[in-house]
Amino acid sequence: MDKESGFKRYLKLDLLPTPWCPGCGNGIVLKTICQAFDELDLPKDGTVVISGIGCAGRSAGFFNLDSVHTAHGRAIPVAEGIKYANDALHVVVVSGDGDLLGIGANHLLHAIRRKTNITVVCYANEIYAMTGGQASPITPHNTKTLTTPDGNPDYPTDVQFLFKHHNGYFARTSAYHLNHMKKCITESLEFNGFSFVEVRTMCIVNYGRRLGYKNSNEMLMHYKELYKINDYAEELAQDEIGIIKSSS
Amino acid sequence: MKKQLVQGNQAIVMAAEVAGLKFYAGYPITPASEIIHELVNKKHIKVLQMEDEIASVSACIGASLAGLKAMTATSGPGFSLMQESIGLAHMMEIPLVIVNVQRVGPSTGMPTLPAQGDVIQCIHGSHGDYFPIVFYPNSVSELYAYTVMAFNAAEESMSPVILLSDGYISHLYETIMPHRDFDIKNRSRPPLGKGDRHFTGLSHEGSVPRTSDVDNYRRLITHLYEKQQLVAQRYNCYEYLECGKDTDTLLISYGALSRVAYYFKNDFALYRPIQMFPVVEEIKIIASRYKRILVMEMNTGQYVREIECILHREIEFIPILGGRIDLHEIKQKIRQKTIERNEE
Ligand code: SF4
Repeated sequence: MDKESGFKRYLKLDLLPTPWCPGCGNGIVLKTICQAFDELDLPKDGTVVISGIGCAGRSAGFFNLDSVHTAHGRAIPVAEGIKYANDALHVVVVSGDGDLLGIGANHLLHAIRRKTNITVVCYANEIYAMTGGQASPITPHNTKTLTTPDGNPDYPTDVQFLFKHHNGYFARTSAYHLNHMKKCITESLEFNGFSFVEVRTMCIVNYGRRLGYKNSNEMLMHYKELYKINDYAEELAQDEIGIIKSSS
Repeated sequence: MKKQLVQGNQAIVMAAEVAGLKFYAGYPITPASEIIHELVNKKHIKVLQMEDEIASVSACIGASLAGLKAMTATSGPGFSLMQESIGLAHMMEIPLVIVNVQRVGPSTGMPTLPAQGDVIQCIHGSHGDYFPIVFYPNSVSELYAYTVMAFNAAEESMSPVILLSDGYISHLYETIMPHRDFDIKNRSRPPLGKGDRHFTGLSHEGSVPRTSDVDNYRRLITHLYEKQQLVAQRYNCYEYLECGKDTDTLLISYGALSRVAYYFKNDFALYRPIQMFPVVEEIKIIASRYKRILVMEMNTGQYVREIECILHREIEFIPILGGRIDLHEIKQKIRQKTIERNEE
């Protein structure tokens, strides 16, 4: 089987197209997750995908696997219930930054602490996209959004620090760095414990274009220029993507 | 089989075990905490103390999808937090049991005192329309029996079933006969990890979200409604005691308060719903025999409205508030009501 049909076996191709806008980064992340599944040859019987609410949350329905589209912010505790009920399952959460780091952040803290053996892939586009473009917990300081017309007064959450002392797996990657993204997701799936991959990805329609990007390719090029790869670092700087070393 | 002296909350755990409970997730709250205290000692039941009640009910939804019989227990404040995900569980058709040991509200209220203030929340607490099955026993042995019923009804209806209790009966010690000869219903749906199904809170047709298909939505709601009615009709539990002497009055009460109503069995006929929702239709026939219907409950008038709705007639109501169940006070209130009525 060639690589193409290899990853496609994890998708419900007949449901395409997705509801996402042209130029949205979500499709890149979805495809890369499936490629990582394929790389590990994850069994279709035995792998489940859970999502919360939002643009990214709609991913779950496109997996050719059993999947659950939970309430807003509740993907992680539902996934934990599944994992503790049946340890043999590969349990993967796919959702956005608003869902996982805003309304669902409390659950993230505790799943890290409990070391629940699940993988979370966060489509981190820095915005509440489905509702039109309100500031998210990782919208950068001073950035204008619908709810921060004078620029975001707050500073973004840096998820890597939640993992300190808990021996989870944390990686940050971007939609431009496809090989790196695939590596991070593959490693996180193999990790025995709680793993979290933050994928910086673009929402062109309800974020990027308001910031002056002409198209999503310009956003991708921004990731290319901004991010340097620093794998197995103690800590990642704002302009670094990579895997945190404590991940063991 | 030996009789055992047990606490109400303990009886819930014993029965849940008989019914096949394999997963429990909960958050500490008075007056429900004894349930998790009992459960942590059961080696064959996975017990998780979660960070809040939202996570608790969510984990139960996950475990139930993964094939295990799941339960969570809480009191009013936690029940409020669970509401959104209760709606999700109805939409995704997830069997599970939610125990609500009621205490005085609103808000933090009086945590150690019993109340019946969450009755309407059981059916309208989450947004949108859904049709839960709700049982409310009034003794420790009934808690035992109806915990098993709740698990069975959950499996049959593929929905979260609410077992109401209150701080009084959950903390009561009574002797029960912990028999095991129940017909236990098991899961009809294969567990997660065996297919390509998609479970979603969006309106859906099978595994496919249908976010703007009105006809499909109407079919879905009809399906959700009808299956609940069908299952509930198999239970339809209530207690009706005709009066030894001629009376024109039917006294309706439930839960802890109904235990006091037995003192009036020589004065009035007594009716006690055990299946609170869907409302048992037999009440229509029973009530038709009485000129006067008197409802008392430990809230400012929640179930009385349901009774009014179904009977289409005037009902007298006595609220017993603040967690105090005092026979003398109740006698006075009933006497007062009777005087008012005779004056009219
Ligand atoms: S609103 Fe943004 S995140 Fe949502 S689909 Fe469109 S581009 Fe993607």
